[in-house]
Amino acid sequence: MRRRRPASLAALVLGVLAASGCGVKTAGLDVRYPEAGVNRSLLASAPPRRVEMLPVVDRRADTKRIGTREGGDIVTSRPVTDIVGEALLLEVKKNGHTVTADRRDVVLAGAVEEFRLDVVGSYSSTQYVGRVVLAVTLADPRTGETLLIRRYVGISRRVVDKDSDNGWRDVMDVALARTMHDFATDPELASVMTRRLTAFNP
Amino acid sequence: MVRAIPAGLALVALSLVGCASSPPPPRPSARPFDDVRRVIVVPSGTESAFAVVEYSSEPGRTFDEILKWIPPWSPYQAVLRPAAQLVHRGINWALEADRAATATSRLQGLSPRSVVAESVARTLETTGWFDEVRFVEREPSAEERRRADAIVRVAVPTWGLVRVRDVEAGLLSGFADVRGQMAMPRTGVVLWEESQDVTSPEQIPVDTFLRDRDFARQEMIVVLERAGQRLANELLYSRSAGR
Repeated sequence: MRRRRPASLAALVLGVLAASGCGVKTAGLDVRYPEAGVNRSLLASAPPRRVEMLPVVDRRADTKRIGTREGGDIVTSRPVTDIVGEALLLEVKKNGHTVTADRRDVVLAGAVEEFRLDVVGSYSSTQYVGRVVLAVTLADPRTGETLLIRRYVGISRRVVDKDSDNGWRDVMDVALARTMHDFATDPELASVMTRRLTAFNP
Repeated sequence: MVRAIPAGLALVALSLVGCASSPPPPRPSARPFDDVRRVIVVPSGTESAFAVVEYSSEPGRTFDEILKWIPPWSPYQAVLRPAAQLVHRGINWALEADRAATATSRLQGLSPRSVVAESVARTLETTGWFDEVRFVEREPSAEERRRADAIVRVAVPTWGLVRVRDVEAGLLSGFADVRGQMAMPRTGVVLWEESQDVTSPEQIPVDTFLRDRDFARQEMIVVLERAGQRLANELLYSRSAGR
């Protein structure tokens, strides 16, 4: 009976570690857009609107991986469309707009056209280039008319010593943040949102 | 069994702390500056040299192949390996410097920090958030300082061409590493600071770039203007940080 206690404790620890996703190394890169870093920006200069956000679609040529490194595929721990969709949602909400499918003023559709991490190996160092291309379309919910199509391109470049294994992991975070900041500070987007008539004032 | 529970919990907690993911990248220093209405944008620092960065793995990789034939215990290994690294660096430095010199001659008269600063001013102006945004080529006068709420200084420490993909030889992208700082005149209080590595989304043939002066200038102006927009967008994004 005494001998089983350490074994059960070890099993418990391993179980928690496995559940937390960090005890066992996975190939998934955890690309993040933390809510704490989201600011009200130019998009907040438009009066509060009711926005229907369609699910982000994946228009990448290669949807299986975001890059290759040392002969293996680099993949994200969550679907790329979820990562980008959540980032868009955070920006729209933080800027004072309501995300709803009911009595909407405007429909926002996002498409990921590129989400890749390129690795350029040299003799003593490695350069990582993260790239996110997001197409955003605003449409009139009543007529279906396209009001605006914009593309936001976020690129991040970093050189890491050949011996270092971790310096590249947040390159995609930075590329995504730049894409979202360009979205939130786009004067044309804010202008179209401002001109939209609300459902209450048609 | 009861005694083992706190120890087990502590072990689990410690293991979770130990393998937590790396912290997010540090955010640039920023404080809300909603009340800044009149801005002067000015180029800062000295003109930087144009760089061509190709991240070539040759001839170093070939040297390594040759060194594999020398037994590891041989005294020649200790001498030849660092020498091979030096030769690799020397050859690539010479090749890149030669291309950079050709490119520099094609881009004569183009001031990267002025193009970036002008683009920053234009981008800030289009938002309508400021009453006045002025671009000036030289440090503002005492009178200009008195009238301004803030001065944005823009520097371009590095610019040039860089290889961004491993597969396509001879295709490079324009880049500009830029720095911006917004400070209040009189008090010198820094309201915002940011550095950005800006890379063109497009790849261009380096041979055409080095041959065609107009093509080279157009490409680099596009990259520098993009760098200015990027820097301005980060400034705008930080404007109401924390509010």
